Amino acid sequence: MALRELKIGASGVRGVVGDALTPELIVNFACAFGTWCGGGPAVIARDTRRSSAAFRAAVVSGLLSTGCRVVDLGVGPSPLASFAIRELGASGGIVVTGSHNDARWNALKFFGPDGALLNAAKNEELLDVYHGGAFARAAWDRLRPVEEARGIEDRYLEHLASALDVASIRERRFRLAVDFTNGACGAAASRFLDMLGCTLLPVNAEPTGEFAHPPAPTAANMRQVATLARCFHADAGAALNVDGDRIGFVTAEGAALSEEYSLALAAMARLRRRPGPVVTSLSTSAMVEALARACGQRVIRGPVGESQVVDLGLAEGAVLAGEGSGGVAVLPHGVAYDGLLALGLVLEEMATSGRTLAELAGSLPTLHMRKRELPSPPNLVYRVIERFRRHHAHENPDCTDGVRLAWGDAWLHVRASGTEPLLRIIAEAPDPARAEALVEEAAVFARRAAFGYDGS
Amino acid sequence: MAQRLSLKIGHSGVRGIVGETLTPQLVTSFAAAFGTYCGAGPILIGTDTRPSGDMLKQAAIAGLLSVGCTPIDTGVAPLPSLMLHVGEAGAFGGISVGGGPGSPAWNALRFISAEGRALRANQAAELTDLYHQGVYPRVGALEMSDLRADASSAARHLAAVTRAVDADRIRSRRFTVALAEGGGGAEGPARRMLEALGCDVVSLDLPVRDAASEEAGTEEASVARLADLVRGSGADAGFAIDGDAVRLAAVDERGTPLGRDASVALVVGRWLERKAGPVVVSVATSRMVDDAAARFGVAVHRSPVGEPNVVAAMQERGAELGGEGDGGVVVLPINACRDSFAAMAVILESAAVSGATLSGLRERLPRYAILRDRLLCPARDIAPSLRLVRNLYRGERIDLIDGVQVRWPDRWLLVRPSTTEPVLRIMAEAPSATEARALVDSVLDLLSPGV
Repeated sequence: MALRELKIGASGVRGVVGDALTPELIVNFACAFGTWCGGGPAVIARDTRRSSAAFRAAVVSGLLSTGCRVVDLGVGPSPLASFAIRELGASGGIVVTGSHNDARWNALKFFGPDGALLNAAKNEELLDVYHGGAFARAAWDRLRPVEEARGIEDRYLEHLASALDVASIRERRFRLAVDFTNGACGAAASRFLDMLGCTLLPVNAEPTGEFAHPPAPTAANMRQVATLARCFHADAGAALNVDGDRIGFVTAEGAALSEEYSLALAAMARLRRRPGPVVTSLSTSAMVEALARACGQRVIRGPVGESQVVDLGLAEGAVLAGEGSGGVAVLPHGVAYDGLLALGLVLEEMATSGRTLAELAGSLPTLHMRKRELPSPPNLVYRVIERFRRHHAHENPDCTDGVRLAWGDAWLHVRASGTEPLLRIIAEAPDPARAEALVEEAAVFARRAAFGYDGS
Repeated sequence: MAQRLSLKIGHSGVRGIVGETLTPQLVTSFAAAFGTYCGAGPILIGTDTRPSGDMLKQAAIAGLLSVGCTPIDTGVAPLPSLMLHVGEAGAFGGISVGGGPGSPAWNALRFISAEGRALRANQAAELTDLYHQGVYPRVGALEMSDLRADASSAARHLAAVTRAVDADRIRSRRFTVALAEGGGGAEGPARRMLEALGCDVVSLDLPVRDAASEEAGTEEASVARLADLVRGSGADAGFAIDGDAVRLAAVDERGTPLGRDASVALVVGRWLERKAGPVVVSVATSRMVDDAAARFGVAVHRSPVGEPNVVAAMQERGAELGGEGDGGVVVLPINACRDSFAAMAVILESAAVSGATLSGLRERLPRYAILRDRLLCPARDIAPSLRLVRNLYRGERIDLIDGVQVRWPDRWLLVRPSTTEPVLRIMAEAPSATEARALVDSVLDLLSPGV
């Protein structure tokens, strides 16, 4: 059986554009969302992918047909849409973005009236409307033209600045190399860095949607910006995701830091200004735990994914929520992962501490993370996880999201990807050989479990 | 099925009620089917001014992009302007979102071929077949095209029409023209065209699309108001165009409506002066055309009702001129569809060249009475009913081009099934209203004897 590359779940609807992700499916989801919103207004935005323009049209049509008012932000980052929903008092929003997925993919991100991605309960409600298929249908005289939100970007940038010590940052007149990944936040980011008194060395700034490198801000994808930072004597560098929800950093010396650093680096400035708990996922590096401990704060771990991490963060009264993917939400100031705000926090830390990015990163404990991705069709992936759980039942596993085992400062997490047909295996330990051994062992077990050779 | 259905998929496109049957899902799929039918190339897409236009257009854009087409958004564009644009631009096809029955609750997609024409019946059937199969070859994200915009439809149309007529002669008369537009967004382009022909334009306030305009007879009401405007403003002519800008009804300088039936005959009278040649009109078109053409000794051929049928027969017969009794006039050298702009320009040229007034032009044509009636008739009763009509008039000259038409030298009777409603349309034209009534009644008596 050929499975379609389509994933409908906790992080919205996501798939490979073509036979899997069709405009009809998008129209149906937009109708479901419009019905769920009960008339709106609904905020929409999109990234720079060509297919995003096509699906934006499908979303507009679907929302309008249910009688929703539609406020279109055009090409813009996801955190801007989240802000606009709160600022305009909208009923929710849809961002058309494949985010960190490669160019073949696209997705819809659904935001609720609080500006956060739909949490599990709201998402389930939306899926019930979608599956029920009884969408609201507005008569012709209830259809309204699509609206624009004038000046919303200005207000968004002011809102970001209000969470930062702008004067200290401006004083340092930083030179920054930034990779925009040909995405949706070039315009907003340029203005933001200007507000912070930074000189910008941009790369891949054209909003073409044709990506110069895979869009996730991993160390491997940040080679260009790392070289730029080193050669042009920048104070630091960063790479933003296509829709601006994730960020990775590079040092002045041109070393690309793993995206696992982003949360811990942002936490430095945030916890100093506003002490409180930090929420992260089961799969995120323990670096942030070491940092929080030093500040006398606790770290709460929950299931993987922005909607669940932010939801838990709001429930726990956290001041920061984020993940090893490079997504950081500054709670309760914002309620979505926001690469620009994370960048602002890191610049603030550099400015107020007087330390370089390399020095800040060096102050964190050295932990080694190893990851494996096993392509795993949905019909096998849950079987593997169930066998793994049984196999490790005696080791007190955390089963909130897949299976997580911890032994002192080492841990192993096995889970189904929320966005792709993959089994993800992640381990971290102070000793790289230990981390490697943990993922290798789990991968061997998973292959056996998938093909039924484990003898259980 | 005796009631009118709220969704109609047929050779005139897809029509339905917004909020009920004409859903974005349906439109997305139909646009994907049309994109598949046309091939992965540029497809023009425009709307009229209905509030539901943008919602449906966005759905169609998404469907077109998904199969590799490049949608080119023309914005609000009158149907004939959009059709001309498709033909001129070398697009692979076009979609017009708009029109259908007068009520604003309805909307429609009309599909335009690469030649800038309405789809022929066989093309429409092939498209519908593709839609029913429901499998459209989607392109991946990397092969997907961009949405473009090109708002030049109306300007191209204006240029084509003014180029084709003797614009200088028309300008020299400095006509005052009263204009009534059916609320579809053609008012601006129509006014610009008339002004380019040196006319002073006075126009009726646009009818607002509201519940009141759902009432039947709106077009007649607007012609009556136009007649008042002509009298009040001392205009040389009044022109009422429908919401799609395809049909024309003229009012003479005295404020007398000339009737939609006269529009084709008025254009024929002038165009054949320039170049004699065959004419094609639908079976439901007035004999005035035959009389106008007789002066030039050219043949008048009849086609089934419907623009695609008229245009196809025109090409077959090598005719430059064609039309229908609803006021739709096709001037093929200008545009391969019913075009009220072309009709207005040729009628003004006729007045300019002859020095006559519109009432003078009308006087050259004989007067007939045309009567239209209808009879409820479910699909299963159509064939038996038509057989009865043929039997009734056995021995007379009978044409089976569309339904049954009985022709005499000075009158005719037509009975044909509607393509949009479960009714038989009964129509007769004769020198007097009494004679036309008698012909219609003969059918009513035959098919509903109890009444």
